[in-house]
Amino acid sequence: MAQIEIRDLGIDYRKPKSNEVFSAVDSVDLSIEKGEFVTIVGSSGCGKSTLLMAMAGLVNLSRGSIRIDGKEVTGPGRDRAVVFQEASLLPWRSVRGNVKFGLEMQRWSGGDLNERAMQMIRLVGLGRFSDYHPHQLSGGMRQRVNIARALAVDPDVLLMDEPFGALDAQTREIMGTELLRIWERHKKTALFVTHDIDEAIFLADKIVVMGRNPGHIKEVINVDLPRPRDEAVLDSEPFHDLRKRLRAHLAEDMSSMQLVKEVA
Amino acid sequence: MRSAEMTAEPAVRQISFSFLRPSRPTLVGALAVLAFLVLWQVAPSMGWVNGRFTSRPTEVFFAAIDIFRNDNFLYHAQISLTEFVAGFALAVVVSIPLGVLLGTSKIARYLIDPPLMALYIAPTLVLLPIMVIWLGIDMAPKIAVVFLGAVFPIVLNTMAGMSEADPRFLRMARSFGATKFDIFTRVLVPGSLPALLTGIRLAVGRAVLGVVVGELFVSQAGIGYQLNLYGSAMRIDRLLVYALVVSAFGYTLTILVRSVENKVRDWRSK
Ligand SMILES: Nc1ncnc2c1ncn2[C@@H]1O[C@H](COP(=O)(O)OP(=O)(O)OP(=O)(O)O)[C@@H](O)[C@H]1O
Ligand SMILES: [Mg+2]
Repeated sequence: MAQIEIRDLGIDYRKPKSNEVFSAVDSVDLSIEKGEFVTIVGSSGCGKSTLLMAMAGLVNLSRGSIRIDGKEVTGPGRDRAVVFQEASLLPWRSVRGNVKFGLEMQRWSGGDLNERAMQMIRLVGLGRFSDYHPHQLSGGMRQRVNIARALAVDPDVLLMDEPFGALDAQTREIMGTELLRIWERHKKTALFVTHDIDEAIFLADKIVVMGRNPGHIKEVINVDLPRPRDEAVLDSEPFHDLRKRLRAHLAEDMSSMQLVKEVA
Repeated sequence: MRSAEMTAEPAVRQISFSFLRPSRPTLVGALAVLAFLVLWQVAPSMGWVNGRFTSRPTEVFFAAIDIFRNDNFLYHAQISLTEFVAGFALAVVVSIPLGVLLGTSKIARYLIDPPLMALYIAPTLVLLPIMVIWLGIDMAPKIAVVFLGAVFPIVLNTMAGMSEADPRFLRMARSFGATKFDIFTRVLVPGSLPALLTGIRLAVGRAVLGVVVGELFVSQAGIGYQLNLYGSAMRIDRLLVYALVVSAFGYTLTILVRSVENKVRDWRSK
C-alpha cells in the first residue's frame, strides 16, 4: 500500500451568504509512495490548495478519505508539516524563534531546541541571519525560513503550497534547485503546488494535473528524468516533451473555462 | 598618503565642537521657547497685558519654589496620585481580562460591544455627579472616574488586538498541532501586545483628566483642590505651577508607555 491513499475525496464549501454548497474538489483518487516528490499543477481556483490543506488536516472532508501510513487523517498531525504560500512567519519572532515555533508546538523532545533550529537554519543557508526578524528579510529568505520551520519538526510528509509563488523567476530557480538538494538528503515525501510548468517538471517524480469545476485530477504524469537534477535538465528533449504536454492540458482548461462563461 | 595625524585632526575638531552644534529642530524649539518666555516676562511691564491675569515666568518660578517648600505640596500630590494609581490599577485589572474575553469570544463581543462603544464615546466625566452622590466627596468618586476613563480604551484596544489576529497565523499554528491554549499564549497574546499598550497610553490621558476634574468638582484635598483654591484667589502664578505639574506627570507617563510600545513594536518599525 502507498504511503498516502486518497479515495473518492470530495470537499464542499458553503457559498458566501447562502446555504448552497460549492464543490471545490470532487472524486479525487491519488496514491503517493513514500519518498516521492509530487507536484500539483492546474489553473487558478481548481482546488490545489484545498487538496493540500485537506491532507494537512486543516479543512474538513465532505466525502471520501485520506489515509497516511494507513491512518485516517482527521486533523493536523506530527507526521505532516506545511509550508504556506503567503506570509506565515510570526513578525515578532526572529528567524530562530520562528523555526523553533513548530518544535515548541509539538513539545519536541529530540534534544536542544536552539541547536535543532540552528541546524535547520544553516541547512537553508541562513546561518548568519538567525537573529533577524521577518521584516528584515527578502521574500526568498522568508520562504527559506518557512521551509526550515517545516523541516525542523522532521515530518514524514512535507506539504508545500506555492512556496515560491511570490518570487521572481531567477530566485525561484535557485530555490527549486536548493529544495531538491535538501530533499535528496532526507527523501521525505513531498507535495508541492505550483503554477509554474517548468518548476513542476523540474522537481517532480510525479505531476498531478488538476482541472476545475469541480476540482478533479485530469492526469498523473510520471517524470523519469534522472536525479540529481540541475538546470541543464531544462534543455533536455524529455523535458521539452513534458512541457508541451502540460501546456496543452492547461490551455484546454482555460478554453473550457471560457465555455462555461459563455453558457452562463 | 594621509598620515594618522592628519586624519586625527578633523576628528578632534568634531568632538570639541559637537556639543555647541545641537540639531536644528532642537535649536529652533529652544529658541521659540526662549522668545516666548521673554515676551511673557516683559509684556506686563510694557502695558501690553494685565500682569494680574498673565503673571510672569519669574513669578511662576518663585511660586514653584514656594509651593514645593511650604504648600503641603507632597500631601496634595500624594492624594491625587493615590486616586490615580488606585483607579488605574483597578481599570487594568478589569479591562485586560474583559478585553481578552471579548477579543476571543464572538458571542461575548456581539453581546457587549455596542454598549461598550457607547460608553467609550460618551465622556465618562458626565457620570461624576452620580459618583459623588453614590460615593461621597472623598477619594472614592475620583477613583471611580479614573477607572471609568481608563477602562474603555484598554478593553477596546485589547479586544481589537485579539480579534484582528491574522487568520493565516492561526492556521499556521494549527498546522503544527497547536492547542487552543498554545494559540492564545504564543500567537494572540504577543500579537495583541502593541494594541494593549496603545490602549494603556490612551487611558493615561483620560485618567489624569479624571483625577483633576474630579477634584475640581468637589474635594477636600489634592492637586485639583489646590487648583480650585488658587483659581478663586486669582493666584495665576500658583495655578500655573500646579497645571505644569499635572501636564508634566501625564506627559512623562505617556512617553514612558510609548517607549515600551515602541520596543514591543520593534519588529514592525525600524
Ligand atoms: N474557505 C473557503 N470558502 C469558500 N470557498 C472557498 C474557500 N477556499 C477556497 N474556496 C473556493 O474553492 C475553490 C478552490 O480554491 P483553492 O484555493 O483550492 O484553489 P487553488 O487551485 O489553490 O487556486 P490558486 O492557484 O489560485 O491558489 C475556489 O473556487 C475558491 O473560491
Ligand atoms: Mg492556492
